[in-house]
Amino acid sequence: MIEHFARAIAKIRGLFRNSRAEEELAREIATHLLYLEDEFLRQGLSSLEARRQARLAYGGVEQVKQAHREERSFPWLAESLQDIRHACRSLLRSPGFSVAAILTLALGIGANTAVFSVVNTVLLKPLGYPEPDRIVQFQLKATEGSVPSASIPDLRFWMQYAEAVDDISAYDLNEAVLGLTSGMPEQVHGVHVTANYFRLFGASLVLGRTFTAEEDRAGSGNVVVLSYWLWKRRFGGDPKIVGQAISLEKEPYTVVGVAGESFRTDPESDLWIPFQFNLNSDNQLHSFGAAGRLKPGLSLARANAQLRLASQAARRQGLLPDPHFAFVLEPLRDAIVRDARASLLLMQAAVGLVLLIVWANVANLLLGRATVRQREFAIRAAIGAGRGRLFRQFATESVLLSACGGAVGLLTGSLGVHALLSISPGNIPRIGVGGASVGVDWRVLMFTLGISLSVGIVFGIVPALRVWGPSLYQSLSAGNQRLGSGSSQSKKRSLIVLSEVSLSVVLLIGASLLIRTFVALRDVNPGFDRHNVFLTEMSLHGSQFATTANVARLVENARQRLAGVAGVEIAAASCSPPFASRMGLPFAATGTPSDNSGSTGDAEWMSVSPGYFAVLRIPIIRGRDFNEQDGEGASGVALINEAMGKRYWADKDPIGQAIEIGRGIGPDFEDRPRQIIGIVADTRDHDLAQPPQPTMIIPLAQEPNGITRLWLQFGPIFWLVRTRIEPHHVAVDVSEQLREASGGLPTGRVRTIDEVLSQSIARQNFNMLLLGVFAMAALALTALGIYGVTAYSVTLRTHEIGVRMALGADRARIRNLIVGKGMLTVGIGVIVGLAAAAFLARFLAGFLFGVRAWDPMVFIVVPVLLTMVALFALWIPARRAARLEPIEALRVE
Amino acid sequence: MSSKDKKTRHVLQGTLDLIVLRNLATIGPQHAYQIATRLQQISDGLLNLNQGTLYPALVRLEQYGWIKGSWSKTESGREARFYAITVAGQKALRAETEHWRRTSQLIERLLVERARA
Repeated sequence: MIEHFARAIAKIRGLFRNSRAEEELAREIATHLLYLEDEFLRQGLSSLEARRQARLAYGGVEQVKQAHREERSFPWLAESLQDIRHACRSLLRSPGFSVAAILTLALGIGANTAVFSVVNTVLLKPLGYPEPDRIVQFQLKATEGSVPSASIPDLRFWMQYAEAVDDISAYDLNEAVLGLTSGMPEQVHGVHVTANYFRLFGASLVLGRTFTAEEDRAGSGNVVVLSYWLWKRRFGGDPKIVGQAISLEKEPYTVVGVAGESFRTDPESDLWIPFQFNLNSDNQLHSFGAAGRLKPGLSLARANAQLRLASQAARRQGLLPDPHFAFVLEPLRDAIVRDARASLLLMQAAVGLVLLIVWANVANLLLGRATVRQREFAIRAAIGAGRGRLFRQFATESVLLSACGGAVGLLTGSLGVHALLSISPGNIPRIGVGGASVGVDWRVLMFTLGISLSVGIVFGIVPALRVWGPSLYQSLSAGNQRLGSGSSQSKKRSLIVLSEVSLSVVLLIGASLLIRTFVALRDVNPGFDRHNVFLTEMSLHGSQFATTANVARLVENARQRLAGVAGVEIAAASCSPPFASRMGLPFAATGTPSDNSGSTGDAEWMSVSPGYFAVLRIPIIRGRDFNEQDGEGASGVALINEAMGKRYWADKDPIGQAIEIGRGIGPDFEDRPRQIIGIVADTRDHDLAQPPQPTMIIPLAQEPNGITRLWLQFGPIFWLVRTRIEPHHVAVDVSEQLREASGGLPTGRVRTIDEVLSQSIARQNFNMLLLGVFAMAALALTALGIYGVTAYSVTLRTHEIGVRMALGADRARIRNLIVGKGMLTVGIGVIVGLAAAAFLARFLAGFLFGVRAWDPMVFIVVPVLLTMVALFALWIPARRAARLEPIEALRVE
Repeated sequence: MSSKDKKTRHVLQGTLDLIVLRNLATIGPQHAYQIATRLQQISDGLLNLNQGTLYPALVRLEQYGWIKGSWSKTESGREARFYAITVAGQKALRAETEHWRRTSQLIERLLVERARA
């Protein structure tokens, strides 16, 4: 056994000591021959004859050497190394070609690697929990799609009826922002969970334990599990932290455990707090998510069928008010990435088209090179190189080229993706802060290796097959000028230009449509003034804010303090400012005291402090705004937006009508009767692409206590401030005043409304930016391709041009000949591209806003732009052709 | 090289290794020419040895660590590569010899059985 090992090592060493071994072998054979010669000399032969006989007796020296080599090392490997060395030398001899090819490849491969590494992180990588494919999320499915939101009665129902699922746990869908008030106040991210959450997600612990079932009951004490990172950062990794109290929202919470380093949730969390639900509650607020683990051996389809059956019972219990609603299970990963999937697949498809253009350019470069080197190969074949060996050399060169391109591409791609994501994160889930989770793993490596090698194989090996063709020797007799000017060659080059042009048209049209979409979204009037307004959030999780009166007092106090800050025009507070989550509630219109022809409906609901509409400069169309007198003790009032007025009071004046909000969906939502006192203008403050929804607004001070308590458990309150100067200049003073008003609570980051708006169209921005970059790269590559093909064909046709000139063709005619032929190909390419784009545009329809998929402007401007670029790329070589001196052109051989 | 040649060489490979080791063990360090001549003599022409098999055998044995080659002067003053058996080689030779004895005994016995039947 040991000898085989020793031999393997010796063989590997043999690879590197080849020349020395060869030299020793030659010496050894020489000695051997001398001894044989002596023998024959002794037999009386002449020295010349003795030498000859010695060689005969010895046998073929070369064969012995070859047998020796085969035994000594891995000859095929040695030959490959030789091929690679040869290929390196040959590529270094034409640096212009090599650099052009490698950079072109690196561009295509880099862009593909960049996009794929995001796709990989978001869509392919399994979630970081044990058996992640078995974790399913509960969804409420309606006709327009499904949402992952759950209420306490839903949770209770699932625990009872969803027999196919174990470990059903609830958790916040968005992490709550909490004030960590031990020492220096700081906002941290917390997630409310039920006790079995940690078992479902396979959390490891470094200290202590997770929550017990008792600790998760309503009314138990305050407990918390810390994340490893928060424990290290804020508490210095204190090994005795378990059992100690930390201060959250100025209330003590006992630390029961610290999660393991590897336990990372999505979204990431600094700490976990038990929900402490009252499971008997009838509260219909859908405010959290729920997931569970499929029972062993059960498929998702079986589990869903079971849940569908159970949903019948849910209908009877009134949990599914609409007959089209249903409960469904969706794999957790699909649920997390659902919104981003289409965008990412679109980008992968687009970048794939760029790769095709890159291939076309590289194929063109290799085609030219193969033609030029035909003579070299013919000569080598003529002096005895085997065709197999020639093929291998040719193929090695192409593979080496694509491997270099791949390596540079991998490097630029993995760096580029972080640059891209830090500029435009596009609200993509799972990528971490600024794309920190996006990296190179084995899938990305395989992908990059795959596309690199595919280039080498398709565009290197296929042309290399020509060494077996009959034409190899013909090129020896052909003159230089005839090389590569055959009609099949020129057809191939036209095809390359044609496909590049049509691919570019497709990409440019796609990018233009997305640019128009983005511009249209930017130009949407949101219905409020986005300038000089900022907002900041504050968590009011603590028990001192359990009643509306306390919150209203804080708001009143804070508004007075903020009014005194230099630079502040007016301030307001709301739990649901533009682009934050909002809830929908049912209402009943009870008519006026005299006329009570009632109707019912659903509308978005929000509560605001006085001044909210002034801060955002949302006009009050009719009636009056809320003021400080609309307090808890005053009579109930409400505002509605225009959309709600049109929907529910189309034929009469809503002002003066009475409504009752939230009746019949649980005691927490019971509200007093309200009178509509005014109509505010519509705003697009949920999604710029969506028309305004019917919305009812009540004074924050009149909010039912139940809603206040529920709402502040899940979300923060937002402070909105209109400033007279640049918002960031007053932000520090505002935060300071808010901290004092609240008795020391921290505020979150400051965002201007402008930033909030940009954030709301970040995905469209990401799509536009990326597709725009790809389309520009495609255009540049295509221009390069057209230029390269034309310049090459001018070089090949120099002699012909000389003849034409000698026969009387003038310069303009020569130039037009070249440009005309090129433009014909470009024209066909544009038509093919337009047809393809018209077909593909339908897949883009879901991404568009304010522009049709067959937008005539785009379909006219893009071909014109491309034709102009093509004309420019053709003009340069055509002009060079026209400037040739006939005498010199004719001399070219 | 035809496939028939290959087969023959393959069968002989183990034998050749054994003979070379035996030879070096008995006579001491030798160079390739000496080994070749010696093999010709002892096999009495039965083993039609070709340099194309001897040289690879020497590489193989050296890579196994069973023999060691080193350059030195012959009595006639020529540079030659002398091969000497190593300790590992001695051990391998004993094992191989034992193996061959048993194999040949077995075959002998089988052939006799056959002849009787």
